[in-house]
Amino acid sequence: MLDLAVATPFAFGEALFLGLASGPACVASCGPVLVPSLLAERSGLRLNSRYLSAFLATRLLGYLLFAAVAWELGALVSLPPSARSLIFALIHVLLAGVLLRYAYAVGRACDHACAGSELVTIGGAGKHRITGAAVLGFLTGVSLCPPFVAAGVRAAELASVLAAVLFFAVFFLGTSVWFVPFAGLGWVRRNEAVTTVARMAMALIALYYLYAGLATLLRKSTYGY
Amino acid sequence: MATKVLPTREPRSVRRSLLLTLPIALWSALMFTPGFAQANRSQRIASAITIVFMVVLFFMMMRTWTTYRWRRWFFVALGLLFPVGFIHTVMVMRGTMGIPIEEMIAGRTPFCFLPIPLLILPAALTRTLVFPGSILPNGGMSGGGMAAMAAIWLAVTIVVGKGWCSYACFFGGIEEGMASVAPNAKLRKLDPRWRYGPWAVLLAMVLLSLALFEPAYCMWLCPFKAVSEYVAARSTVGLIQNGIFVVLFAALVIALPLLTKKRTQCAFFCPFGAFQSIFNKTSVFDVKIDKTRCTPCVLCQKSCPTMSLTEESIAKGETLMSCMKCGACVDACPKDAAVWHIRGTEVAVKPERARLMFLYAAWAMAIMFGGSIIAQGLATILHLFV
Amino acid sequence: MRTLMAKLGYSAAGLTVCAAVLAPFVLYGMFTKGFASLGLHVDEMYSGGPKVRTVQAAGYTIDIHRQVSPHMWQREKPFVQLDWRPVSALPAHVSELVDIDGDGQPDVRVTFDVPRDPKAPLRVNVDSLNPRYEAMRNVGKQKFSDLIVRVDDAILVRVPVAQ
Repeated sequence: MLDLAVATPFAFGEALFLGLASGPACVASCGPVLVPSLLAERSGLRLNSRYLSAFLATRLLGYLLFAAVAWELGALVSLPPSARSLIFALIHVLLAGVLLRYAYAVGRACDHACAGSELVTIGGAGKHRITGAAVLGFLTGVSLCPPFVAAGVRAAELASVLAAVLFFAVFFLGTSVWFVPFAGLGWVRRNEAVTTVARMAMALIALYYLYAGLATLLRKSTYGY
Repeated sequence: MATKVLPTREPRSVRRSLLLTLPIALWSALMFTPGFAQANRSQRIASAITIVFMVVLFFMMMRTWTTYRWRRWFFVALGLLFPVGFIHTVMVMRGTMGIPIEEMIAGRTPFCFLPIPLLILPAALTRTLVFPGSILPNGGMSGGGMAAMAAIWLAVTIVVGKGWCSYACFFGGIEEGMASVAPNAKLRKLDPRWRYGPWAVLLAMVLLSLALFEPAYCMWLCPFKAVSEYVAARSTVGLIQNGIFVVLFAALVIALPLLTKKRTQCAFFCPFGAFQSIFNKTSVFDVKIDKTRCTPCVLCQKSCPTMSLTEESIAKGETLMSCMKCGACVDACPKDAAVWHIRGTEVAVKPERARLMFLYAAWAMAIMFGGSIIAQGLATILHLFV
Repeated sequence: MRTLMAKLGYSAAGLTVCAAVLAPFVLYGMFTKGFASLGLHVDEMYSGGPKVRTVQAAGYTIDIHRQVSPHMWQREKPFVQLDWRPVSALPAHVSELVDIDGDGQPDVRVTFDVPRDPKAPLRVNVDSLNPRYEAMRNVGKQKFSDLIVRVDDAILVRVPVAQ
C-alpha cells in the first residue's frame, strides 16, 4: 500500500485525470436520470444551477460514503461482480421509485405555483422536505457505474480511509466538470409541452430501471440475448 | 394579409390534368424501366402495375384538386406490401422472422430508419454505431447497408421534411389504413397531452441508448417488429421483449386507430416522428391557415390524423411542428382557408402552385423509394401465380 | 422585402424539386459515400473487434481478435473472440490449446464438436490456464460475451475476460 505522503501528489493527480477521462461515461450513465428531471424543473439558469448543485453535492456524498464504508470493510476490491450487481439492482429499483414519485410531484408543483423559485420536493413536509435533486444525486452517486468501480479499485490501494475518501473527492471533481454544461438547460423555456415530455420520459426510464433492478434481483439475464 | 380568389372546385380538365401528370409519368418510367432487362416476369408486371398505380393517383390529385385520399391509397399500399416483400425475403434467406445472434455478429441485420436518432450521440461521442448491421452491403439481409438507408433518409428529409411520415415511411400505412376503416370514431375525446408522447419516447430512448450502448427503442418498444423481424428470444427476457412489441402493435397500430380514426402510433408514440418534426423547421413547404377566410369551424383540426392543429395554432394561422403534410386539413376545409404554402411567400396566394411544387418533389420521392417497395411486394405475390 | 422573400421562397422550392430529381442519380451516391467515409464502425460487442493475430493449425487457422470491453452500462463482460476457419477443414472434435495474449504460453483449452449439419447447435467448453480468462462449461449462444456460433465458414468462440 502506498504511504499517504508519497501517494498524495501522484494519486490525486491520477484521480483528477481519471475523473476527467471518465466524465463522459458518468454523464452517459447519469443522463437518463439527470436530463428529464432537470427539464421537469422550472426554467431559469439560477434554479437549474441550484438543481445541479444539489444533485452533485449528494452525488459526492454518495461517492464518499460508499468509499469510506467499502474501504473500511476492505470490500471494494474483493467485492465479487455478482454482489456488485445486486447492489446495483437495488439502487435501480429505488431510482425507479424516486423517478416516478418525482414525475408525480412535478405535476402537483406546477398546479400550485409554476413560477415559483423552489426545487421540486418529493417527500416530507415543512422543514423536512426533500428535494428530488438531492435524492436522485445520492442514488446515482452510489450506483456503482463502471468509472466509479475503476476509481474504487484504485482508491482501495491507498494507505488510509482518508486518502481513499480524498481520492474519490478529487475523482468526483474531475467527473463533475462534464456536468456543468447541463445548467444551460435552464435557458430552455418551460411550458406544458416540455414539462409533460420530461415527466413522461421519467416514467419510461423508471420502468426500465425497475425492470433492470428486478431482473437482476431475480438473477435473470437482463438482456434477451 | 392579401388573399386572392382561389380556384373553383370544378374538376380540372382532363387535358390539363394529363399535362401536369406527364412529368410524373416520365419519372416513373425512368425509375422502373432500367431494371426491366434483368427482371423476371412477375417483377416486370409488378413494376408496370406500380407505374400505372402511382401515375393514376397523381392524375387524380391533379383532376380533383385534392391530395389526402389519393396519397392515402399509396401509403396504405406501401404499409401492406412492405411486410409482404420483406417477410418473404427474410423467410427465404433465414427461414425465420427472428434474427439469430449469428446474423447480428455477422453484421447482417437490416437497418431501417427508426434507430437513426438513437445512434447519433454514441456515434458522435465514440465513433461507434450501436447497431448490429454493416455500414456497406454485407450479403444476407444487410441489403444496401446502413449508409444506404441513411442516404435515403437524408435525401428524402431534405426534400419533404416531416413529409417522410406521409410519403416514405413503410410502416405508417398500416395504421392509416386502420384509421380509415370505421365510418366514425368511437373514441372522440383524446387528451391533447398525448401528443407529447413521441418526444418523451425520443428523449428516453436517446438517453437509454447512450447509457446502454444499444438501440433501446428497437430492443424494447418498436411495434413494427410484428411486421418485419425481431431479435430471436433466447431467454425469458427475450420473450418479454417480444411480448411488448406484439401488445404495442395490437394497441397502437390496430385497435386505437380503428377506434379513434387517428394515426395513434405516429401521433402519440413514434420517436422517429418527433425527430423528423425538427426538420419541419427547415422544410421549405408547409401548411398554413388563411386567417381572413377561417371561420373557425375546426374541421381541419378534426380531420388531422395526428392532432397537429389546435385552436391556438389555428388562431396563429399555422400547424404544429408535428404536421406530416398529408393534406387532410387542406382537403377538409370548406372555406379553402387551410392551404399549401411555400416559406417566404404570402399565405393563400397561389396555393395550388405551392401544392404542385410540393407534390412533384414528394411524389418523385414516393415513386423512387415507396414505389420500389410496392413493386417488390407485388412481385412477391405475383410470383405465386405467374 | 415581401417580393424578395417570395422570390427566395420560390427559388428554395425550385431547388427542392431539383433535389428530388437529383436524389437517385447524385445525392444518394454522394450521401452513401459520405456516410461510409465518416470513420464510424459497428460496435465491437457485435463485430468482435479487429483481428490481431492468426495461428496456423493443421489445415485451418485460428484468428485471435483484440479484446473487446463493454461500454457504459453494457452488462456484457469483456471478451476475446477466436475464429476457427474454414469449418470444412476442422476435425469432428476440436480440442485446442490457444495462446491468446501471444506470450508463448497457452492461456485456454477450447473444446467443441463440429456437427455435420451446419444448423445444429454448438456447445463449447473452455478450460482456463491463465486466470485472466474465465472458464466456460457447455456454453451455447446466450450472451454476446461468451458464446459459440457458426458464421459462414467459421466457428466463433468468445472467451470472457475476468474482471
